Amino acid sequence: MSTKARGGKYDIFTKLALVLVLIIVGFLIVLPLLNILVYSSQPSGSAIVKGSFSDIVTRNIIWNTVKLGLTVAALGTLLGFIMAYTQARVEFRGKKILHIINLVPIISPPFAFATAIIVLFGRSGMITRGIFDWRPTLYGYPGLVLVLTLSFFPIAYMNLLGMLRSLDPALDEAGASLGANKWRIFRTVTLPLLIPGFAGSFLLLFIESIADLANPLIIGGSYTVLASRAYMAINGDYDISLAAGYSLLLLLPALLVFLIQRYWAQKKSVISVTGKPSGRPTVVTSKVARTFLLTVTGLLTGLILLIYATVVLGAFVQIIGVNNEFTLSHFQYLLGGFANGAIKTTTTLALIATPLSGIFGMLIAWLVVRKVRRGSEALDFLGMLGIAVPGTVIGIGYAITYNDPVKIAGVTVFPQVAGGAALIGGSIAIIMVYIIRSSPAGQRSGIAMLQQIDPAIEEASASLGAAGGKTFRLVTLPLISGAFLSGLMYAFAHSMTTLSPIIFLVTPDTSILTQKILAEADQGRYGNVFALCCILIMLIMIIGGLINLLVRRTQVSIDRPMVTGR
Amino acid sequence: MATKSGNLKLDALTKEFGNSAEKVVAVRELTLTINPGEFVTLLGPSGCGKTTALRMIAGFETPTKGRVLLDGEDLSYATPDRRPMGMVFQSYALFPHMTVFDNVAYGLRVKKLSAGEIKKAVGEVLDSMSLSHLANRAPNQLSGGQQQRVALARAMVVRPKVLLFDEPLSNLDAKLRAQMRVEIRSIQRRLGITSIFVTHDQDEAMSLSDRIVVMRNAVVEQVGTPDEIYRRPSSVFVADFIGRSNFLEVESAARAKAGKAKIVVSGRKIEVAAQSSALSSNKPVLLVRPESITVTAAKGKGTKVGKGEGKVTNVVFYGNHVEYTLETDEGVIIAVESDPLYDDIVPVGKIARYSFPADRAWLLPSDSTHAMKEDRK
Repeated sequence: MSTKARGGKYDIFTKLALVLVLIIVGFLIVLPLLNILVYSSQPSGSAIVKGSFSDIVTRNIIWNTVKLGLTVAALGTLLGFIMAYTQARVEFRGKKILHIINLVPIISPPFAFATAIIVLFGRSGMITRGIFDWRPTLYGYPGLVLVLTLSFFPIAYMNLLGMLRSLDPALDEAGASLGANKWRIFRTVTLPLLIPGFAGSFLLLFIESIADLANPLIIGGSYTVLASRAYMAINGDYDISLAAGYSLLLLLPALLVFLIQRYWAQKKSVISVTGKPSGRPTVVTSKVARTFLLTVTGLLTGLILLIYATVVLGAFVQIIGVNNEFTLSHFQYLLGGFANGAIKTTTTLALIATPLSGIFGMLIAWLVVRKVRRGSEALDFLGMLGIAVPGTVIGIGYAITYNDPVKIAGVTVFPQVAGGAALIGGSIAIIMVYIIRSSPAGQRSGIAMLQQIDPAIEEASASLGAAGGKTFRLVTLPLISGAFLSGLMYAFAHSMTTLSPIIFLVTPDTSILTQKILAEADQGRYGNVFALCCILIMLIMIIGGLINLLVRRTQVSIDRPMVTGR
Repeated sequence: MATKSGNLKLDALTKEFGNSAEKVVAVRELTLTINPGEFVTLLGPSGCGKTTALRMIAGFETPTKGRVLLDGEDLSYATPDRRPMGMVFQSYALFPHMTVFDNVAYGLRVKKLSAGEIKKAVGEVLDSMSLSHLANRAPNQLSGGQQQRVALARAMVVRPKVLLFDEPLSNLDAKLRAQMRVEIRSIQRRLGITSIFVTHDQDEAMSLSDRIVVMRNAVVEQVGTPDEIYRRPSSVFVADFIGRSNFLEVESAARAKAGKAKIVVSGRKIEVAAQSSALSSNKPVLLVRPESITVTAAKGKGTKVGKGEGKVTNVVFYGNHVEYTLETDEGVIIAVESDPLYDDIVPVGKIARYSFPADRAWLLPSDSTHAMKEDRK
């Protein structure tokens, strides 16, 4: 049976929710994107777009972007797979801790990795020069590949770990009973079943790495990519049309790859989740394989730990690697006035945006899974735009759209919310960005959760007399509260660490922590960068921990027999 | 007051899925009147439209055409929450975040009854289903049978005019299923609630129903009491779906007095009851249920199979009955002998005589007879 009633009309609650969602999506993402299109068709922008293949400079920037994306996607997927396979199929002590360490880079502040890598492995790196007396040039392609791979491999790791765990162990056992050895089973059963996971991870990593702005600004050197070029168009050329042109060039491949990933790669998945995996997954016992897997895993985990140690240490010494004398001067400087405003503003805005983005993501999930019949995929896509569109493009789109009131036929339909002269010093635009960037995560987990809940549970409520809105409040919402609150955790962490769209929206009244970090990194004051990263991590841990407490208190445990359909 | 309400009329109820290019008819012109207090089962193989029909009655699907009338009121397009019906789901659909008590109280709370009334009503219904001691448990702490009872209690406590059951027993083991069948039927009789039960299990349908509606490919094949459906099925499909059947080839058939036909089968000339269109079909078949056939050893014969005889190809001893498979000129015949004496069992490979009383046979039109077997679940 279908998960939603077919035919017939929507009830009033559904209609209202749908209209509300469309209006919000319209203002938060569609309108800024349309403006990118409009402005990129003006002279300087359209020159860039038209010259994307003929103009050597533009062509180089595009090639740089694609090359970086492909390399990081390939390396990140490979690393993610090795880590996931080790986690799923190798027995060793400290598995859980390793798992957490592998996930940490996802919520780490921008620049933490880039600056730590420079300090460790750069021209005057503590390891490269300090130990091996080697002075490599990190700035540019090699440094970017290293930093981005380390930052983004956890996405592939999570993706593939989930798939590996849902593989029915009986498949391995079937292979073994037919006489195949472990290596053969790995090649002929495990790997082929994971192909959609590889494809999906590769595409996701590609999008993430071509969209990244923070790292190209810090460690890119003369290696210009589309995101950093678009940023320069605003902050160097002061040419909005030019920025819109580069944005469009970045937007098109990002959206295309996103569509392929969502609607093609995911559908190729042949793994059927039976819910009752029988038996236990086979464990890697071959000495060679074990040694290889554990060595790679150990090295990578060690590197991540080393980077975090550098960040923490760097925050508490004068100049790490040069003058390793303990000091609190960085924190004294930052908390003595330089960053106080930013800490307060960032936290406040993120806290305002967090519940809003959570509710918004959940509402879309509910509409997509349960209510909307025709066009649910389109609605899902609209909701995901916030994460599919590179942050740089969103930032530039917002700057174009909301630095003036939005008018239709001379009537203001939306006030000026960005820029210094805007309402509340431009905070609203930043909150809007936080919401649209974070809600997709809530939407995804909400959809996953709802698909597991038997639709008959909601039908039972309706048949007992509860109309649409009441059923959502009394039954659906309590059941998805777990996903809802973990979505909130992510939304908060993500908002606190987001940079690329925010750069274009900060005003003197609304200074944001990540933008402060950029400014300090730009000046080479790494001590301050590390201290700011520490502050940011502390804030996320403390407030995230509070949200987590809330989760535990209200979470409903939903066990097996309840959520199974037929 | 509850006894005389609950008259449900389905009027040419039709449901089509898909667009004009690719249209699938799930239910075609289902017309049926269900009397107050009657227990009616919709029976058919999967995909026959029975669940869709039930969901249209409940309001989870909107009919493409046709009407649903309850005590004269047109509910065809009313949302589920506006229909005075209770539904028991295949997966039970208990609210996992509520206790047993809160699950059962849900419908009453939605109706805004006072806390006192709710406590009393829920207490009574839990009591009557011997669930009182589980009131504060979470659904996932209950066994399948207990969950089933809670689901039934939850649907009943709001005093619906119609109870709807969507294969509610299919997740239970065989023993529990039989027990719940009895329980459901006795509660339904006591309360006199009009009930519609969807299943693909013929035993369930036979043991529960006042009337059975056999569906196939979106249309009603036959409506009748369990006895009518079993003894006088309207088609080979119904006969094949309900119980086990032998369809014997008939050598000749001619009209006799009303409702009867003179036929020659297995070399015998007999007069049997006939379905009204059986004789207009070019090759009618004779339905004989396995339990109507008697098997005896054909003494002193070699391996030659004569008229009214067959070669025994399989014998299964079940204790209370023995089941034969015979190869005959009329086709393969299954026969069941109850309470067999060991010495009388005809062994495999031997020739056996088979016979049946003429009044246990039923002549049917043969329309595309054996292709139907593949429809069975």
